[in-house]
Amino acid sequence: MADASRTMDIRTEVRRQPTGNGAVAGAGLAEKITIRDLNFYYDGFRALKNINLPLYDRRVTAFIGPSGCGKSTLLRILNRIYDLYPKQRAEGEVLLDGDNILSAKQDLNLLRARVGMVFQKPTPFPMSIYDNIAFGVKLYEKLSGDEMDERVEFSLRRAALWDEVKDKLRQSGLSLSGGQQQRLCIARAIAVKPSVLLLDEPTSALDPISTAKCEELVDELKSDYCIAIVTHNMQQAARVSDFTAFMYLGELVEYGETETIFTNPSNEKTAEYITGRFG
Amino acid sequence: MTEIAVVSDRTSLATSHGQRQRLQDAAFRLSTLFFALVVLTLLGGVIIALVEGSIPALKAFGLGFVATEVWNPVTEKFGALAPIYGTLITSLIAMAVGVPVSFGIAIFLTEVCPVWLKRPLGVAIELLAGIPSIIYGIWGLFVFAPFMQSTVQPFLIGTLGQLPFLEDIFMGPPYGIGILTAGIILGIMVLPFITSITRDVFETVPPMLKESAYGLGATTWEVVWRVVLPYTRVGVVGGLMLGLGRALGETMAVTFVIGNSHRIASSILAPGTTISAAIANEFTEAVGDVYTSSLVALGLILFVITFIVLTLAKLMLLRLQRNAGT
Repeated sequence: MADASRTMDIRTEVRRQPTGNGAVAGAGLAEKITIRDLNFYYDGFRALKNINLPLYDRRVTAFIGPSGCGKSTLLRILNRIYDLYPKQRAEGEVLLDGDNILSAKQDLNLLRARVGMVFQKPTPFPMSIYDNIAFGVKLYEKLSGDEMDERVEFSLRRAALWDEVKDKLRQSGLSLSGGQQQRLCIARAIAVKPSVLLLDEPTSALDPISTAKCEELVDELKSDYCIAIVTHNMQQAARVSDFTAFMYLGELVEYGETETIFTNPSNEKTAEYITGRFG
Repeated sequence: MTEIAVVSDRTSLATSHGQRQRLQDAAFRLSTLFFALVVLTLLGGVIIALVEGSIPALKAFGLGFVATEVWNPVTEKFGALAPIYGTLITSLIAMAVGVPVSFGIAIFLTEVCPVWLKRPLGVAIELLAGIPSIIYGIWGLFVFAPFMQSTVQPFLIGTLGQLPFLEDIFMGPPYGIGILTAGIILGIMVLPFITSITRDVFETVPPMLKESAYGLGATTWEVVWRVVLPYTRVGVVGGLMLGLGRALGETMAVTFVIGNSHRIASSILAPGTTISAAIANEFTEAVGDVYTSSLVALGLILFVITFIVLTLAKLMLLRLQRNAGT
């Protein structure tokens, strides 16, 4: 019973939030993705409850919250990767450049070309570094050998990996270190020229130096992409993001500019979480 | 004083305990070594017995044994070419039939299949693997061969058999039994083995790896072909080899439907024989050293063929690995 009453409190707070803080926070920016009244169900379990949120172009939005709060679930809706599994269902609207990607008419392959994703652990394909990058590109474009070479170099440079691998492009992607593998995965996502990048705890399996490199990379990439990052690391959220969304038990508790969220949160739960009192 | 006594007691306890552990460990290592050596001894024993048994035949016919088609018990002239040919060609047909179907089933089971259908299909595959080969044999002879004779073979003769180049392969009267029938039955028999192994190894692919590929916009086919298969190549080749091994050595079902004729015909509709079918059929009637020895020599040849197939598989894996750059 105690839990239920707490959830109720949060819900009333949330209703106030997006109209207040959120609207002011993003004034003058282009909304790349608009999430409206989004609910998500695993079989019968309601994992996301009435989420409303904008994701701005050329900005980084961080999703924070304790495990199981639905932040990864939210990310997995944005490229509809959840569609691979039966019994998972999303309701509501997710507008990407104004089109509802949740509609049945949405071509999933084209959507995923526009919305790239990087996962918790590096997942290089069992092929050479070059082919790892070329794999996605070949799905959509017929490029000549030279053009493909250019695209591979462009992507690897953009992912700050080129100098480390330019002499061993024919080696297996699996031969790289963990941090390099993760940057390879980012390069792979960039290569198909998406406009949105989803990063699902991209540094959780990496050492501190690789983590720092990846964060730098995110900072550079945001000049071209709309980036959403899920992270357990609050310093990371504070460092890399422009906007932060705090989620708890499937609800969006607070959303706003990162600085505001971390220095002057308006919700008590947010304050408790970012000061490490729970989660 | 008491303190010192206690301490020394403990040390001696610890030493004796450590000694016992070391002894146990040594005994354990030796016994596993023994079991491993048993395998080597058995293998060596089988090879020696096969070689020794085939000496009379090899003395009589020399290396020409493997290149001669004649198999005449009356004049005691024996050559292994027809059974070797039959063994290889039926296995080839079996793989041609079984592999695509097995892959299709395994891919369906792991990537496409709705949850409620997974278990019934999986059980069906395992039941198929559990059917004794004699049952495939009688089914092949009494049900499948007549069907081949009345339907499939006339159709093949009437269509493919009319084309240039292919007419030699699909000509002759529709006997029902023969190389093709045996090959198809073998294909059905190896199917559950290849399917269950490929399914198991396909399931070892991390979901995140597949999601990465789907996340780039790949279709199911592209994910399977470019990611799942390369990731599981070792296991898949293993499954293929297990299936091929079974096809090469399968005896009972083949003996029923192949026709047991020591001749090499250009047509795959014609009857033939395989090494194992020839041995099973003729051992009871083999009189005379050379006849018996020729059958043992056939066994030795089958052994060598299996060994060559395994070696080729290993080489293929090495090449695949080099290509993938690992």
